[in-house]
Amino acid sequence: MNRQPQIVETFVKKVLAHLDEPDPAKLEQFLQLFNPHQCKIIFNSQPFGQAVQFLQAWQTGVVLTQHVITAVDFHVIPGTGTLLCNVNCKVRFDESGKDKNGQDSTVPANSQDSQSRPGQGSINSRSLDKPRPIWGTYYGVSLQLVLEDRIFTNDLNGVISSMNYTIVFKPSDSLMSI
Amino acid sequence: MQVGGFGNVNQIGALAQQNQLDNLVSVSIRGWTNATQQDLLNFISRKTRISVRNSVVQGDTIVGYVTPQEADQLVKFSGYRFAGNSLKIHKAVGGNTNPNTNDTITVLRNVLLRRYNVQTRMLDLGNLFNDPELVQRGMAPKNVNTQSKMFPAMMKVASKEPSMVVESINLSDNNLRDVNGVTTLAQTFPHLKNLCIANNSISRFHSLEVWKNKFKELRELLMMNNPITSDRLYRTEMLRIFPKLVILDNVVVRDEQKLLSIYSLPVQQTQFFFEDNGLASSSTDFITNFLNLWDSNRMQLMGLYTPQSQFSLSVDSSVPAATVPNAQTTPTFGHYLPFSRNISKISSDKTIQERLRIGPEAIYEVFGSLPMTKHFLQEQPDAYSVQAWTFPQVQGFVITLHGHFDETAKPEIDKSKASQGSSASRGRRYNHGFTSTPNIKLSQKSFDRTMVLVPSPNGSVIIASDSLTIRPFCDSAWSKPPSPSQPQAQPVQLQPQMNVPLSQTPPNTSSIPGQIPGVLGSTPLQFSPEVQAKLSPEVQAKLSPVQLELLQKLHLETKLNAEYTYMLAEQSLWNYDNAIQGFRNSANNLPREAFV
Repeated sequence: MNRQPQIVETFVKKVLAHLDEPDPAKLEQFLQLFNPHQCKIIFNSQPFGQAVQFLQAWQTGVVLTQHVITAVDFHVIPGTGTLLCNVNCKVRFDESGKDKNGQDSTVPANSQDSQSRPGQGSINSRSLDKPRPIWGTYYGVSLQLVLEDRIFTNDLNGVISSMNYTIVFKPSDSLMSI
Repeated sequence: MQVGGFGNVNQIGALAQQNQLDNLVSVSIRGWTNATQQDLLNFISRKTRISVRNSVVQGDTIVGYVTPQEADQLVKFSGYRFAGNSLKIHKAVGGNTNPNTNDTITVLRNVLLRRYNVQTRMLDLGNLFNDPELVQRGMAPKNVNTQSKMFPAMMKVASKEPSMVVESINLSDNNLRDVNGVTTLAQTFPHLKNLCIANNSISRFHSLEVWKNKFKELRELLMMNNPITSDRLYRTEMLRIFPKLVILDNVVVRDEQKLLSIYSLPVQQTQFFFEDNGLASSSTDFITNFLNLWDSNRMQLMGLYTPQSQFSLSVDSSVPAATVPNAQTTPTFGHYLPFSRNISKISSDKTIQERLRIGPEAIYEVFGSLPMTKHFLQEQPDAYSVQAWTFPQVQGFVITLHGHFDETAKPEIDKSKASQGSSASRGRRYNHGFTSTPNIKLSQKSFDRTMVLVPSPNGSVIIASDSLTIRPFCDSAWSKPPSPSQPQAQPVQLQPQMNVPLSQTPPNTSSIPGQIPGVLGSTPLQFSPEVQAKLSPEVQAKLSPVQLELLQKLHLETKLNAEYTYMLAEQSLWNYDNAIQGFRNSANNLPREAFV
């Protein structure tokens, strides 16, 4: 039985899950998927020379995201050991005004209530409770991945040799500017 | 109404109506301000069986139209108690009061224009009830209630004034107890940056709640001398209601740098990416030619596909949110679904395998079964976005194109006909060939198409892989007003055949002379043919003095207009000698409008 479609779809889900991951400690695992020698990353028509640059920019410069796959298709290109994967998905951003670390841009008030913003001190006992994201409206994304066919043998090291991520439509009620 | 069966019966009706309208007189009604206009009209209609037509609110008065007989009856009705007040109804003196309405608009417009400052982009609506012109006309709002009638009217007038670009509004000293009367401000000026509502009597957060999720660009808010400011939660609540507020009552409440970084992505989106210049010109050539043939004669494309070439399409039927501009809400994919290879939706391995088409014959079977299309690469270059990058493993490259097309006609090979069954095809015959089935009606679609191109030994190119996503139409995310800083955006001259030389991607400099005729021989540019080498301010702002000087020199030497001079300079990588050489090589191919 041909398992290729399922493997491709699972892999795409994995990539999107990495993009949605808030924990910087897991960046290393994501980085391993990209070809360390030559990897072309294009994000909204802007090139990133290396995967690590892109991932750092994504980790530090983008708020929490949530991707949902809407379409996947792929072609194994004969004789090259590669496949091209064409994905459409939608993405929404955490518009609560907080970054991935839960930091917002509010300047602490200089009065006595500076250290006690409502509720913050009291939940320290449950400090693992991250503030809940406030999801905005979905954007549309078109994503192309050039992958090595080693993914079919469950070898995921450095299999992504290029990635083209393009936001194709945006809602007018989003607070994000792209 | 009796219909005599005459052809002009509608006309007679219209004439009668017109006649009636001409005979109408206007009445003015006061003393109703404790209720809404509709409440009053309902009340009058209930009590007198008279309906007041075309009524408008003017200050504390409602002006409407009734027949002369009705007007006499209505005036007798004056003094009736309504919502705790006695109504005052008068017949207007003149027969036709329409000029009065226009008069009101003129007054409001004058007040607005007088209070608008072009330099500061500020609309000063402070202390409206002492405005001499409004006082003189009896339109000055005296209390919150009448204000709530006058202010929306004023906002409506303001919204029809495109010359007014308002970034700041002053609403101080207006005796406001809440913002209900001025809530329409958010509809009229959603991009407002600064708002002052100081020296009012606003005391509750609740009243500001109507502005939550509005004014997303509000940066500064002044609310001094309102009772609300002494509330313990004042700051927190204002931060919550206005997500991008930076300054509240002259105090910085948000770190603007941090705020910007949170609400933006690490890079700004642009329309195009090409890995190098050679790729830019060859891929724009390729796309233009390909889509041209795709729209006119798909059979001619088949030479680009070899027996190993693969094509598949996938339908992304997820509907964009209603707030995506011009999003199609009920898209139809009837022509595409029989071929869709969206593996996130299809579970059958057999289907997935069947829908991957390999070789020209199998591919053409799908091409011929898709609706005829029209793409708008030439007419609306802003509606398309392209990325092209090299693909070393195939010694070729990948082109991805995002955009939209119109479906202009049914497919050459109508597959859906066969699948409709006998009753449907009988319906088709009765419908003279037009299918009324909603799921295959023609419409606009958005799409993403990715092709892997490999240069072939004879200097042309073959398509190794072609995958197309069809999705509901909506406006694109990258579209911005056209700017000459993106000369690649201009569509490329059509070439008679598809053979695009890609075998040797030339290095940047040597590619330039050859590139210019291709790129410049495009459709006329949208920019006005400036005589001076003047470019839009935002482009100029990006240029260094050296670059500006080079532009000036090139302009004098070549007599090209501003846009072409800029394109020439950019394509020669801002090297004067290269540019002149490039110009000499291609001068004969340039259109007339390229020159001053």
